[in-house]
Amino acid sequence: MSEKIVKIENLVKRYGDKLAVDHFSLEVEEGEILGLLGPNGSGKTTTINCLLSLLTFDKGEITIFGEKMAPDKYDIKSKIGVVLQNVAVIETLTVYENVDFFCGLYITDKKLRKQYVEEALEFTGLTEYKKYKPRKLSGGLLRRLNIACGIAHKPKLIIFDEPTVAVDPQSRNAILEGIKKMNRQGATVIYTSHYMEEVEELCTRVVIMDHGKNVANGTSAELKSTLMNRETIRISLPGKSEKILEGIREINHVYKTKEEGDDIIINCNGGEHNLVHILSYLTDNNVPFGRVSTELPTLNDVFLEITGKELRDKCS
Amino acid sequence: MFIRMFFYKIKEISRNRTLLGWNLVFPLVLATAFFLGFGNMIKDDPDAFKTIEVGYVNTDGQASPFSMVLSSLSKENDGIRVLKVHKFSDVDDAKSALDGDEVEGIYIEENGSVETIVPANGLVSTTLNQIVREYENGKVVIETIAKDHPENVMNAVKMMEINKSVLKEYDFGSNTSPYLQYYFSLIAMSSLFSSWISTSMLEGMCANLSENGKRFECAPVYKLPSIVAGILAGVVLQSISNGIVVFYVEKVLGIDFGIPLLNVLAITTLGSALGIAFGVLIGSLCKNKNLLVAIPLCFSMTCSFLSGLMWHQIRQMIEYHMPIINRINPAALLTDCLFVRATYGKTDVYYRDIFTMLVLIAACLIISAMFLRRRKYVSL
Repeated sequence: MSEKIVKIENLVKRYGDKLAVDHFSLEVEEGEILGLLGPNGSGKTTTINCLLSLLTFDKGEITIFGEKMAPDKYDIKSKIGVVLQNVAVIETLTVYENVDFFCGLYITDKKLRKQYVEEALEFTGLTEYKKYKPRKLSGGLLRRLNIACGIAHKPKLIIFDEPTVAVDPQSRNAILEGIKKMNRQGATVIYTSHYMEEVEELCTRVVIMDHGKNVANGTSAELKSTLMNRETIRISLPGKSEKILEGIREINHVYKTKEEGDDIIINCNGGEHNLVHILSYLTDNNVPFGRVSTELPTLNDVFLEITGKELRDKCS
Repeated sequence: MFIRMFFYKIKEISRNRTLLGWNLVFPLVLATAFFLGFGNMIKDDPDAFKTIEVGYVNTDGQASPFSMVLSSLSKENDGIRVLKVHKFSDVDDAKSALDGDEVEGIYIEENGSVETIVPANGLVSTTLNQIVREYENGKVVIETIAKDHPENVMNAVKMMEINKSVLKEYDFGSNTSPYLQYYFSLIAMSSLFSSWISTSMLEGMCANLSENGKRFECAPVYKLPSIVAGILAGVVLQSISNGIVVFYVEKVLGIDFGIPLLNVLAITTLGSALGIAFGVLIGSLCKNKNLLVAIPLCFSMTCSFLSGLMWHQIRQMIEYHMPIINRINPAALLTDCLFVRATYGKTDVYYRDIFTMLVLIAACLIISAMFLRRRKYVSL
């Protein structure tokens, strides 16, 4: 069994009367990429700040690398890298100096630090920009610098707090690929986001947060397997009739149909080749049809089913 | 780590154009504006004290106590030389020198009494007459006591020594121009602007003030030594900035502060430390990022105004009506310290100002340390 890198037990955090984190528990195993998914204001960042011992909390216990976390636990802090939601760099220093400055808070050996800084710049593709000041960088490059500053000291645990907010798709992909690479190199990752696609793509396990609570926990497949709807098929069917719809509903695994203009939306609760079966039925009955699309369930559907609302934001 | 932090803070602050503008360029511009406005009035100040050229004739032909007094006043003390004595053997020669404007007055000592000859009333005649009066008074007192109570002569001499130190404290200075105070207030303002350096430094070290602060507080480093390194960097840079302003005013604009350069730099370094310390206090108490700019600005400008930046008599008015404000206003303390040093030398008031500034620095840093020790916040 893998070592527990992070353990949060029964965490409660209040801002006055508002309950931001509500008896939240979490375990992160070594080598995982854990996705902390939830809408804005669900308590993800508050949980991360409590985890990093920046915030006081009302109840609960947090252990990292087997030790209780506290502000003066420098041995624990030295193994953690943090990439914050907003870019945290020093405007008057160059790219190289920024990475060197923040890396130097962890690595005192000058030679080793130089090597780490250069590796971090290489890793984030910033080597050619190392003499630039942050204000000269584009939004995507700035995000990469933010990451370089957080990971240059080669931490064992890296916490990414919504690192792709307001980032263009190209830079986002580069960031996600970088995180996968770091994970392959041995880093355990906690990744908070409200972009379900990112979490699905990146994370080996997902914890869904809402109103400060842990509402679901498992791999992406495990979470989706809890859904009744496993496949949604949309067919443009201008000449549809009640008899045709009745026939579709009788196909195995089809449990619900819904009309939307000329389209018909068909929900299936499992099975394989559902689309083939439906199209065969339409062809056999000489029913003309147009555009066809099929969608597998997403974490948004999981969230919708659990909380009764959508995650709202989607990646652009 | 400390040295590394110090040098990185030096880099960070020295490249900050806003700080550079307010802490160096603005004082230089203001100093130039002051110079254009009233620079010549300082240079040609009619009230500025000048060494008096005096002739001395001793018809008794032997060393007298008065000649020793003149000899004492001819020596430079704290950069001030009251008299330059020209000895004449003949009264007529002395009078010829007076007529030829070689001397501004004459002392004639005959049969133990001193006569003063001056061509006109004014500062010179008042000074020369006052010297004789003080001498005669002391002489009469000692002679009377020696006659009636010879055992108390030594005590009387001691009393006169005390009196002498009091007189010395209120002696004429080398620079009495009220306009010079504007420059002292300007240096005080420049020093207090360094409070921005501290607030911007703390912004990068406290999680409740910025994202950089969060990153910093996530790192395995002790916070207070890092802050001390930042404070030192701020003091060094502000002192250099003040040094440039002082050099510019004295050497380029040609306005003499009347204080040895090293002494001015020492005082302005103390002023820089004072500004930095107040900035640390503001930064440690303030949670709003926007206020970290607004408060130091308002604080510096208000204190500088009350120290006489815009109207030099305001400090005297406050001293008369509410002196406590001058005792705690860092700009007033610095202005007063420079003014007293320039005008009266290293008097008790000068040392009191320095001591008060040191106490304020210590108080600010101790109070700040109590707040800055915190590394966990209720909200971010």
